[in-house]
Amino acid sequence: MTMAARTESFGRRVRRLRAPGAPWIRVACYASSIVLLLGAWQALGRSFGVLFVPFTTTMSRLREMLYDGPLLSALAVSGKLYGVTLGISIVVGVSVGLVLARMKLIAAAIEPYIYVLYATPTISLVPFVSVMFGFEFWSRVLVAVLISIFPILLGTLEGARSIPRQHLDVAAIFGSSEGQLWRDVILPYVTPYAMTGIKQSIALSMVGTLVAEFFLNPDGVAAVLLQGTTTIDSAWVLAVTVLVAAIAVVLVGIGELIERYLVRWRHTAVG
Amino acid sequence: MAPIVAGAFLLGIWELYVRTRLPDFVATPSGIIMAIPSTVTSASFWSDALASLGSIVEGVAFGTVAGILIGVAMGRVREVNWFLSTYIRALYALPLIALVPIVILWVGYQPAARLTIVVISAFLPVAVTTADGTRAIPKEYLDVGRMFGAKAHHVWFGIALPTALPHIVAGIELGFARGITNAIAVEVLASIQGMGMSVFEKSAQLNENASLVYVLALAIFAVGIRSLMIRARHWLAPWYSG
Repeated sequence: MTMAARTESFGRRVRRLRAPGAPWIRVACYASSIVLLLGAWQALGRSFGVLFVPFTTTMSRLREMLYDGPLLSALAVSGKLYGVTLGISIVVGVSVGLVLARMKLIAAAIEPYIYVLYATPTISLVPFVSVMFGFEFWSRVLVAVLISIFPILLGTLEGARSIPRQHLDVAAIFGSSEGQLWRDVILPYVTPYAMTGIKQSIALSMVGTLVAEFFLNPDGVAAVLLQGTTTIDSAWVLAVTVLVAAIAVVLVGIGELIERYLVRWRHTAVG
Repeated sequence: MAPIVAGAFLLGIWELYVRTRLPDFVATPSGIIMAIPSTVTSASFWSDALASLGSIVEGVAFGTVAGILIGVAMGRVREVNWFLSTYIRALYALPLIALVPIVILWVGYQPAARLTIVVISAFLPVAVTTADGTRAIPKEYLDVGRMFGAKAHHVWFGIALPTALPHIVAGIELGFARGITNAIAVEVLASIQGMGMSVFEKSAQLNENASLVYVLALAIFAVGIRSLMIRARHWLAPWYSG
């Protein structure tokens, strides 16, 4: 340890410290990044005043708003819209995707329009939707579903189209009924494709919920955010934003876990 | 042939439904077509388009450059990834529209707020896709590079970046899609003049047909960007077919 360590070049020492078996660097990186961010937030917050409040102020405001503020009931309102949106996106997206894969003529006829609708920024359709269908709950659901459904629909369609001919032939040779064909061949094959779409829609349904709430008569979490903006209460807005971010991270994480669980056989089959 | 028949059928249903069931001011396909000349020749249409689309293109350009630089660093240097990934990935998961109120509060009720949101909207997907793309380069590429004596900057910009190009283009495409949506959101929430604002304004003035001409223009822009990105990928990474 004596001679070797002393003559070791700087670069080599860095490389040795960075060796794959050195988990302390990872821990140090995560820890220092969190400490630095919170420290910077706290320090900047103290010097900026009204527009940028310190971390501790934000957190205590968040607690205040959760215990006796508008936040809990707003979360319930938004949560309901989110749940309905995601549920409808999954059910309608998967079934329309499967139907389109089996009905080639209809698919050829409306597919271009699906892509155009997908590319159109849905937020710009909000005034039109409100004129046609009003500002109430199902109007919001429509806007949110239009934002979140397409990855599921197009993913399922792609999956159902790419089922290898041989799979269907084997099922036919063994005399599968239509029900068995769906249960044992089509659905298992399509699941990973649909799940990739569902994972995206778990995040997009949040976007849809917020867009619907911001722009069709403010409601739910979006209304709480706007209230903070109009009263120029930055602690208020920051607190809600941090909470929304935390919820988003959890939901996206759940989506990834479900995907990994549902398509576990795919990884083992390929890798 | 089938798409044209289906399109005519759908438009026909829309036209009939509005004419028989809804008040006059609701947009119909024929009304939108009639409104195109007067809307498109008005000066405000072009100043709106220049303001919105200009700031979207500018914001995505800034966000892309920053995203590529940070992304390559995250992809190639473990420590940078560990240091930044918590925040980048948390922000990436967050619906950015939730950031609009705080950005308006900080930047103010002015066009700079729109630009800020678009920059963030493009930065995050580009950073994430670049990081993923430059991390997952095949070992053989690195071995060949090392054999020819590649330095770190050769590996970063000569091997990792070109390998990650298809991912990066996908990130830029996502950045545009999110940028357009969020730019409209800022315009409406902060009353900044632009195409998104006009869509809502015209509708509030019961000028539904003109409002939908703006929507149509936004859709054409979005579809155009999308096909441009597909073409860019074929051109930049002809070997890639995913």
